[in-house]
Amino acid sequence: MSWNLALQFFVSGVTNGSIYALIALGYCLVQNATGLVNFAQGEMVMVGAMVMLSLYQGMHLPMPIAFLLSCAAAALAGVALQEGPLRHSRNRDILTLVMITVGASISFRGAGMLLWGKSSHIFPPMGGDSPYIVLDAAILPQSLWILAMTLAVLGLLYLFFHRTLLGKAMRGAADNPFGAVLVGISVRRVVALAFAFSGALGAMGGILITPVTSMSYDGGLMLGLKGFAAAILGGYGSTPGAVAGGLLLGILEAFGAGFISSAYKDAIAFLILLAILFVRPSGLFGSARVRRL
Amino acid sequence: MIRESSETHSPIIIPREWRPLLLTALFAGCLPFFIRNDYLFFLFNIIAINALVVLGLNLLIGSTGQVSLGHAAFFGLGAYLSAIAGTTWQWPLPCALAFALLFVAGTSFLLALPTLRLEGHYLVMATLGFNIIVDILMVQMDGLTGGPSGFPGIPRLHLGSFVIRTDREFYYFIWGLFLILFGFTLNLTDSRLGRALRAIHEKDLTAQSLGIPSFRYKVATFVLSAIYAALAGFCYAHYVTFISPKTFDIFYSVQVVTMVAVGGMGSLWGGLAGTVLLTCLPEFLHNLEDLHVLFYGLILMGVLVFCPEGLVPAVISLPFFKKLRRREKRSADAVNEAGAPIPHGPEARRPVAPTLASPNAAVRDDGPGEPRAPLLSFRDVSVSFGGLQALHEVSLDVQSGGIVALIGPNGAGKTTLLNVTSGLIRPQKGAILLEGKDILGLAPFQVAAGGIGRTFQAVQAYQKLTVMENVLLGYHLASRSGFLSAYLHTPRERREERDLREKAFGLLDEFGLAGKALWAVQRLSLFEQKLLEMARTLALSPSALLLDEPAGGLNPRESTLLVERIFALRGRGIGMILVEHDMNVVMRLADRVSVLQHGCLIASGTPKEIQQDPKVVAAYLGVKKAGSGGRRSLA
Repeated sequence: MSWNLALQFFVSGVTNGSIYALIALGYCLVQNATGLVNFAQGEMVMVGAMVMLSLYQGMHLPMPIAFLLSCAAAALAGVALQEGPLRHSRNRDILTLVMITVGASISFRGAGMLLWGKSSHIFPPMGGDSPYIVLDAAILPQSLWILAMTLAVLGLLYLFFHRTLLGKAMRGAADNPFGAVLVGISVRRVVALAFAFSGALGAMGGILITPVTSMSYDGGLMLGLKGFAAAILGGYGSTPGAVAGGLLLGILEAFGAGFISSAYKDAIAFLILLAILFVRPSGLFGSARVRRL
Repeated sequence: MIRESSETHSPIIIPREWRPLLLTALFAGCLPFFIRNDYLFFLFNIIAINALVVLGLNLLIGSTGQVSLGHAAFFGLGAYLSAIAGTTWQWPLPCALAFALLFVAGTSFLLALPTLRLEGHYLVMATLGFNIIVDILMVQMDGLTGGPSGFPGIPRLHLGSFVIRTDREFYYFIWGLFLILFGFTLNLTDSRLGRALRAIHEKDLTAQSLGIPSFRYKVATFVLSAIYAALAGFCYAHYVTFISPKTFDIFYSVQVVTMVAVGGMGSLWGGLAGTVLLTCLPEFLHNLEDLHVLFYGLILMGVLVFCPEGLVPAVISLPFFKKLRRREKRSADAVNEAGAPIPHGPEARRPVAPTLASPNAAVRDDGPGEPRAPLLSFRDVSVSFGGLQALHEVSLDVQSGGIVALIGPNGAGKTTLLNVTSGLIRPQKGAILLEGKDILGLAPFQVAAGGIGRTFQAVQAYQKLTVMENVLLGYHLASRSGFLSAYLHTPRERREERDLREKAFGLLDEFGLAGKALWAVQRLSLFEQKLLEMARTLALSPSALLLDEPAGGLNPRESTLLVERIFALRGRGIGMILVEHDMNVVMRLADRVSVLQHGCLIASGTPKEIQQDPKVVAAYLGVKKAGSGGRRSLA
């Protein structure tokens, strides 16, 4: 077991981990705005990647435009989910709403299968195929893109939530929806916005990972679950936690696959995840909730 | 037999579910005569197997409000373990079954132990992770499991020389098994444990304050539901005789959860209906080929969006069924009003406090001077939340039959003191003695069992249960029937249940709520809900009672009535801590008044002394300015 091998695992772990982090961020936003687990989050990843495929490879739009449009499409899908079934559900029970997102996830998957077929797709990476060699580890330009964009998104999100009025309104509405209504914040719009953000984040993850691992109509499911796991690992609802959880999960997975067995990759990742949760139930960055009567 | 006798004895009991059960059994029994097609038999057998998994899952969701995404793993473990034991190791079938069930029970216990302590999404996460791990193991350990290509050649179900060979024979076996377990599970939900589980789902902490060991029950339910899934897996493996990991992946977990959700969470009948519907749906949708995934998802969403309580309650609320139910209800009400089972034995009417006479009738003779061991005693209790000192070295004594009022401005730490007493918050320092024994560090349900009852600032009545059921929850500790006797509805369990109902009815009668015993709590006024909460707490037969703002939100007349109630209680020798803002109530009820400010006890004495204490007056009204004369006092 040599050091350069470890470095290689680290690089691939961070690459995948960044994607998980993006998806986990989406879970967090929805959680903070509504208290729901949006199980259709993984399908947003798929939708983003597939729309990108159609726009970029099918219609030959320029990369950046296709990228933005795909994110917008997934954001729209997220808003549609919120403004459609979730808002109109007659039962406000959290469990029912969560199950509705499960139904939505199946529907998106079904629609994806109809639109893009059952085979898996791939499109060329950004910045070409030739890797940079750093300390014996091969780093694909795509990996750097993934990392850079994840960091950029994080920075932008931070600025948005702490420096803009709308961002503060969103935080306020998440903290106390009733109070937010009283000071004139439209909680409905804020929730829709959260779904839009989470859709766009998922789509970004999908677009970025597709050149590395390819994407099929049901490819969003596992990515979605990993993102969920990352969010929980970080402390559900915590933004820095989501990022840390995502990266940690990616790295654990890469090392597990590299040093033990790639067949048991997911099993190892989840085993460690469970172990961490048993020791630290509130996750890395979560705080234990105080229950009151 | 048992059910009938209990029905005739006390008409409030409603275990009438045997009728639909019989109907279902008849229907299932007759169906084979109309089926000519082996494939249909196969479909119905799969329905029964799914229904078994769903039954367990429904019990879990209904009692914890948390979802498991790992039931496919338990299902798969049941199938694989019995297949391996029965085929590779050549164990006899019953041993293989026992091995599989025990193994699954053990694993689910270990999984539940850390996760069920937590709220939120942890159970989902833990079970999800577990499912993925088990799935990968099934694929990878091909020496044992046959790997991705599956495990062939599993023996059919047999006992001695009797073998279940055809689909038709298996049909009778699996539906018989399912219906028996279904009946038992219905029994369980219609017992003291079922009631406790529903209470845990609705308000966990409140349930604990009534002495219900909610964590233990949740773990037990989780293990039970995993065993159901493993049993279903066993049946599946020995029916299909070939299993592969694909059957037991996360999709199946999601599928069974959707079956529960579509049918109606917490309703066992709903779960059955959801299973039938969603198992058959893909068969109908198969003709649509590629469209079927999309349609499945859309139908699932549609049902969840438009049928608030699930499919079965939605169907029942259709006009036709409504009429039917109204008729049934009317007759039940008539029975209730006419033959209310009040005079049933001497203990039905417990020795009520002499009379609910005016407060002044009782004499305050146990004044502060008398040396008696206190019932409840606080020694230097300190609590801080981060930097905030919520309680600072508070010491306080409560005598049996004495009422200590705790007053102080908002945020003074009054409710915190009550929460510390009931075990909801653990103090950093100090001791709390109940009859000389330290109760610090006990779980809330243990404190309740020790004899400390409490009511809450915001009424914590169970809105989804009836008035009667709320009181019965208070009697949870007074009864002992365990899971097994609840499962079988043994005569002893039924007798106990009947006695409890009589007692509960007596208690409700005492509080003037007997006529509303069958009402949903939602229909009660705030005052009645407060009375109900008090009755429920009294069912614990507490020696000490913590009352958190009992008069809050009541009008003066109701407040007076409540004061009389509370006064009657001290006649029973119950010691009370009363947190209250209404000074009229405090001054009329309390023997002693203790004043908290910023977590410190600033004064303690008789109501008269406190009214004139300058420190208290300052705390409430602010410091008197120089020159602005006039005496100030509280109340």
